[in-house]
Amino acid sequence: MLQAIFYKEWIKLRWYFLLAVLVTSGVAGYCLLRMDRAIELKGAAHIWEVMVLKDAVFIDYMQFVPLLAGILAALVQFMPEMQRKCLKLTLHLPCPQQRMVFSMLASGVVLLAGCFAVNIGVMLAYLPTVLPAELTRNILSAAAPWYLAGFAGYLLTAWVCLEPTWKLRVCNLLIGALVVRAYYLAPVPQAYNGFLPWLALYTFALSLLAWISVSRFKAGKQ
Amino acid sequence: MSPILACKHLTHYYGKRKIYEDLSFEVSRGRILGLLGKNGTGKTTTINILSGYLKPRSGECLIFGENIQTMPPALRRNIGLLLEGHVQYQFMNITQIERFYSAFYPGQWKKEAYYELMRMLKVAPGQIISRMSNGQRSQVALGLILAQNPELLILDDFSLGLDPGYRRLFSDYLRDYARAEGKTVFLTSHIIQDMERLIDDCIIMDYGRILTQQPVGQLLDTLRRYTCRVPEGYVPRLPEAFHHPSVVRGVMETCSFLPPAEVERVFAELQVPYSELKAEKVNLEDAFIGLTGKY
Repeated sequence: MLQAIFYKEWIKLRWYFLLAVLVTSGVAGYCLLRMDRAIELKGAAHIWEVMVLKDAVFIDYMQFVPLLAGILAALVQFMPEMQRKCLKLTLHLPCPQQRMVFSMLASGVVLLAGCFAVNIGVMLAYLPTVLPAELTRNILSAAAPWYLAGFAGYLLTAWVCLEPTWKLRVCNLLIGALVVRAYYLAPVPQAYNGFLPWLALYTFALSLLAWISVSRFKAGKQ
Repeated sequence: MSPILACKHLTHYYGKRKIYEDLSFEVSRGRILGLLGKNGTGKTTTINILSGYLKPRSGECLIFGENIQTMPPALRRNIGLLLEGHVQYQFMNITQIERFYSAFYPGQWKKEAYYELMRMLKVAPGQIISRMSNGQRSQVALGLILAQNPELLILDDFSLGLDPGYRRLFSDYLRDYARAEGKTVFLTSHIIQDMERLIDDCIIMDYGRILTQQPVGQLLDTLRRYTCRVPEGYVPRLPEAFHHPSVVRGVMETCSFLPPAEVERVFAELQVPYSELKAEKVNLEDAFIGLTGKY
């Protein structure tokens, strides 16, 4: 059954997933290209100095890219479910409804994780060749909340999409925007260091919100 | 024998608007029951409650003896659900959708029933459902239900958006299948002619209540349309047994389950100034309009 759920989600998401991998990795590649040019022009030592003294991370363009990728993934995945109330078909299947909903969310999270892993892979392929390990870690630690924001954006958008009433959708959207704000409080290296595991926990706890929307859908709220 | 489906004392409101109050009905095993009602009488509401997507304000629906709200998921294997407008996953093609559903019904899935219908449709295996016509989509939805091979089929407005050919194809195919396999079907449609060919029993709903529930044969045998001449300006005041009496150009028309002799007796007792009383048997559509009124 789980395989079948993943199969359905894969059919919805596969082209988007390919596009998201290409675009997000393209933006990551562009950031690294800019860094490479800066190193060529000013020398690696200067870049290291700027990174240490001014907390520069050189991948600022990436800041909202995972968030956008997460939001779009949820739209691509859950809008067809809400179109003409297709979700009724999904919930009617002989599978526990919570397992069904969380498996759908897990499918999206796994695909997003795959997409983000490719991004990080691109960075890890290049950064250690020009930066010491500490500075590479700095860049990745600055990017970590942005990637978590990608997952949060995905889970919050799923919550909004699955909500059956427009009034509450708008309300959820506003709450979602405030929640996402927490991931962009300090876009500098190590800012979230001690808090990162809690932020990750908080992010994945957001998946519970989608069940609230589904429960309201099941109760026939309109 | 216990009924396959039983709704007990259902009451539902949308906000302050009452849809119905204390609605109860049952569907016996192997019967095809049609729920007939004008727009807004609560047909889709009933289907939504029956399929567990709407919590009634009070009352309960039992399917296979289990409350639909707390039913174990495995029991849903035996309930085929057709949503209004033959909604299916539009992003899948006909092969993908069959592959997806088959995983949920191991041991009961009849792949050949689905592909037999698809062969009749002459659609390519890779055709995406969103690019199909309404008629073709209805056949995909029907094929999936036939492949699921459930004991109970719940169909919401199966004729919506279908041309006469596809409506006939759908209802004939469904009727033959349900009768041959002894399936129980609960359905709604706004096209009454299709129902007459298909259903064994009917429930006719009016705003907020059930007008009648009985086998279609019995309904058509006992319900009659009465017409008679009355003087110009006569305003009919008849008891409740006479449904929606109206006078147009000196001809009074009404529907009743009373036999002609009893009608004559009541008219005489009420001193109705009538002449040329005629009693006619009606088809299901006329029976429906006779009982629910034209307005």
